[in-house]
Amino acid sequence: MPVTKVLTAGIGECDLRDIAVYRQRGGYVQLHRALTTMKSTDVLDAAEKSGLRGRGGAGFPTGKKWSFLPGQIPTRYLVCNCDEAEPGTFKDHMLLEETPHLVLEGILLGAYGIGSHHAFIYIRGEFKRGYEIFMKAVADARAAGFIGKNVLGTGYDLELTVHRGAGAYICGEETGLLNSLEGKRGEPRLKPPFPAIAGLYGMPTVVNNVETLAYLVPILANGPEWFSAVGTERSKGYKIISISGHVQKPGNYEVPLGTPVRELIEIAGGLFPGRTLAAIQPGGGSSACIFPENLDDPYDYESLAKAGSMLGSGAFLVLDDRTDFVQAAYNMVRFFAHESCGQCTPCREGGHWLETVLHRFVQGRGLHSDLEMLHRVSGTITGLNLCALGDSIEPFLKSVLKRFPEQFEARIQTVAV
Amino acid sequence: MVNLTIDGVPVSVPKGTLLVEAVKKIQQEIPVYCYHPKLGPAGLCRVCLVDIEGMPKLQIGCNTPVAEGMVVRTRGEKVDTGRAMVLELLLVNHPLDCPICDKGGECDLQDYAMAYARGTSDVADAKTSKPKGVDLGPTIVLDEERCVVCQRCVRFDELIVGDQQLVLKDRGHKDMIATATGEPYRHHFTGNVTELCPVGALTSKTYRFKSRPWDLTRTQTSCTQCSVGCRMNADVRGGTLLRTMSVESDDAISDGWLCDRGRYNIGYVDSPERITQPLYRKDGSFVQISWDDAFALWAKALHDAKSAPESVGVIGGGRLLNEEAYLLGTLMRAIGVRNIDWRAGVQRQATPGRFSGTLEQLESANVILVIGASPAETAPVLDLRIRKAVRHGGRRFDIDAQNETAALMAARDARSVALVWDGSDVALGARFHELLSGHASLSTFIAGEQGNARGAEALGLLPRDTSLDTAAMLDAARAGTMRVLNLFGVNPALNFSDPALVAEAMRATPFSVVTELFMTETAKQATLVLPVRSAFEKSGTIINATGELLPVEAALEAPVGVLSDLEVLIGLAQALDIALPTEEEVRRTVIAAAAQRSDDAFGDARYVWSQKQAVQAQRRHLFAGGGTSAHDVRIAALRPADSLAIPVGV
Repeated sequence: MPVTKVLTAGIGECDLRDIAVYRQRGGYVQLHRALTTMKSTDVLDAAEKSGLRGRGGAGFPTGKKWSFLPGQIPTRYLVCNCDEAEPGTFKDHMLLEETPHLVLEGILLGAYGIGSHHAFIYIRGEFKRGYEIFMKAVADARAAGFIGKNVLGTGYDLELTVHRGAGAYICGEETGLLNSLEGKRGEPRLKPPFPAIAGLYGMPTVVNNVETLAYLVPILANGPEWFSAVGTERSKGYKIISISGHVQKPGNYEVPLGTPVRELIEIAGGLFPGRTLAAIQPGGGSSACIFPENLDDPYDYESLAKAGSMLGSGAFLVLDDRTDFVQAAYNMVRFFAHESCGQCTPCREGGHWLETVLHRFVQGRGLHSDLEMLHRVSGTITGLNLCALGDSIEPFLKSVLKRFPEQFEARIQTVAV
Repeated sequence: MVNLTIDGVPVSVPKGTLLVEAVKKIQQEIPVYCYHPKLGPAGLCRVCLVDIEGMPKLQIGCNTPVAEGMVVRTRGEKVDTGRAMVLELLLVNHPLDCPICDKGGECDLQDYAMAYARGTSDVADAKTSKPKGVDLGPTIVLDEERCVVCQRCVRFDELIVGDQQLVLKDRGHKDMIATATGEPYRHHFTGNVTELCPVGALTSKTYRFKSRPWDLTRTQTSCTQCSVGCRMNADVRGGTLLRTMSVESDDAISDGWLCDRGRYNIGYVDSPERITQPLYRKDGSFVQISWDDAFALWAKALHDAKSAPESVGVIGGGRLLNEEAYLLGTLMRAIGVRNIDWRAGVQRQATPGRFSGTLEQLESANVILVIGASPAETAPVLDLRIRKAVRHGGRRFDIDAQNETAALMAARDARSVALVWDGSDVALGARFHELLSGHASLSTFIAGEQGNARGAEALGLLPRDTSLDTAAMLDAARAGTMRVLNLFGVNPALNFSDPALVAEAMRATPFSVVTELFMTETAKQATLVLPVRSAFEKSGTIINATGELLPVEAALEAPVGVLSDLEVLIGLAQALDIALPTEEEVRRTVIAAAAQRSDDAFGDARYVWSQKQAVQAQRRHLFAGGGTSAHDVRIAALRPADSLAIPVGV
């Protein structure tokens, strides 16, 4: 079994929330080492060489993202995105609750890596427990001299601001998050300019996911080559996969990227007895389904893209032959329609329209003409939107509509009204 | 310059040009809702999709700058499919109540749907229901169902007005336009959102259900309700002025905006209270007389006073057109009259002197000093220019009239300084003018409330040498030494600092003539009241606050029996048997007068009002719309409460 323990090491074995325990296990050594013996750019080089890609959903190479910051502007911000809200994803709040100091050390390393003196973390409003645990970690770390003026006597100032969201999916989109952090409506911004040029308060900003930043700690500890040695050609290192759905042991599992899809199901205890696999949504609510023929595909960015889906945030939803795909599609579309900020036309109107029509299907009141409309609209709106939310409405629907047309046809109203 | 190809046509445009603007070079159009040249891109409506070679996805034309060698297609199957989808989605919940929508016929949703959308609909469900006929404030009605959420109105408040009242509330398909506080939507420029709105979501209360755009006859003219002289379209249906609209291309004067006073104070022109026949006071009450009789009576009164021209006075001119002002001065001086003064209200001066500035200078000024004035009230669109300067990094200081130190400090390190005051306290203006005259690039502006005050000054409607100004004429009249008073388009009984003096002066004068649209407080005390045309009913020119010569075009027929001030003057000249200058002479004189910039405009500071007098008068005349608004019930709601009126110099 390829389950590995990197970020998840120690979870369930000791109390990593205790700063003493965390330090005993080598915690904050990398921060100390970076601040005392490494230049900022060394951290950036390590991130770049490791091949680490963003673990929040887009999978953008982390080192490359950092390198977009213009050199001549000294004020710059690192923002840790802990607004984990992608349906099926539950890794970030586990890290926050179970190993808050690792998250914090990752943020501080990331901030140092981009030469920022002020980092922010945007924590989803619902994560009250994680927030409280993290706040204690911040207080302990501050007392130990890891945060504030003159960190560890190195002369480097590094302040941290913790912000709680108010519960909107769109605030996980990086520019929506920045607006929310500034106290504005959580609406994505028009790009360009990208955050690296004009982000938080108009300054150059990097927004990184919790898991991404946390991986900086083992990458510095073991060297970038240790990380890049694992995985496939363009998907390096490890990833925490949130496995849910029709498996016997759902949960977070940390695995090397490239682990075959079939093994992921086995890791999570396999299907329930007597059931067969119908579909897998491999990358969160925004992703299209893959099917039994993809079981031997490696779970990595490129293979999933080739299969017509994506790795996304690593939320792995297993759906067996009991699944009502009409209901499931309705649930997905309803989620995104509800979370649409309403700024741009395709997402605002398209999401709501699809939701309305699917609701009728759920009630057995579909029309023949609806099927054509579902195909046409779900096939067109992606790519027209201001941000990725609008492009997330249809992938699941479109994939199951194509795969299980009989389930939709069965919900077409047969009795004359 | 950047070279690119749009729809197969090579185009060369400056670096940074957005595609949506670049296509205009080849007489093409990319449809837009949220984009507006004055508001910039927002990327919300997604209708401006274009296909750029090498890009897998369609791009929005409003936020994509041109690039060297870029190959762009504004049509084609890919673009048309995407664009048609966006339009189809916009129509999913649109009520399609075009037959009762004011925007029908000039609606971008209608036009683009006809041009680019599918002709059929797959919608099988009920449309979303949202509030209709929402009373947003004194001027605007909102229909939430028609809204396409382009947020132009929201961005207008935020970017142009700088007073963020309109916001988007709620989320997703439930989102709606509302005021942030829930209070009524009111500032000086609300009407512009009805023009920015690409659909019929925001409509003017004054125009709702009044007309179809194709039934309107449009005349481009200039607004005469303050000294800015915004270019303006007057839309008339069946002889009734229904609305005024901004001229979007008018970058030089209005910058494409109108204030609510200029836009909405128009109902007076067809008020039933307008006078349409000359009225003569006989035995204490007015009787209707013919124009011939009126001219004869007036000419006789002037003839009788011929031996003592110092007993004849002329007040008014700020509401006249240049041509009328010139004829007035010429005619009166031809019969020896020297007591001529256009100033009947608080404003004492309209020409800012040798540092007179242009609106471009104001817009790019580093520091704007507003001295004891409220340009937002007296000349609203000028205030928008100041806000634009602030948006571009300029700093605005509203400085107390007494605080010279503050003015000097504010101006100290500025590259360019603009001085704005309202022309009411001449000594004040002169003082600050001198104070700052050492500054390398000083430009001065008088934000006056009289439409053609500068024209009246340029054409000589000012007392010369020992002749009397308005206050002296009124004083003399009260003392019984004035025999004839001629008042042209002024209402000193309302606007002058001392209404009691006006009443007594009028009573003590044997013969007083007033040209007016209405029986004003002043007209009621006159001997002869002559009905004249409004600015929408006559043609000519005005000179605005920055010295521009602007055309005024007649958009309407005047009521039968009503003459223009020009025709009145011609009639009087004929009755007096005096030859007037030819049309060509008038034209040349006006052009020459507009071209000269007076260097000694601070010559006349003979009396300065007390602060209290000025405040009282200012409070009364703000939003008076040249004395016309009292006759438009619809404008009443726009008048600021007393507490809102910012007093002068206090």
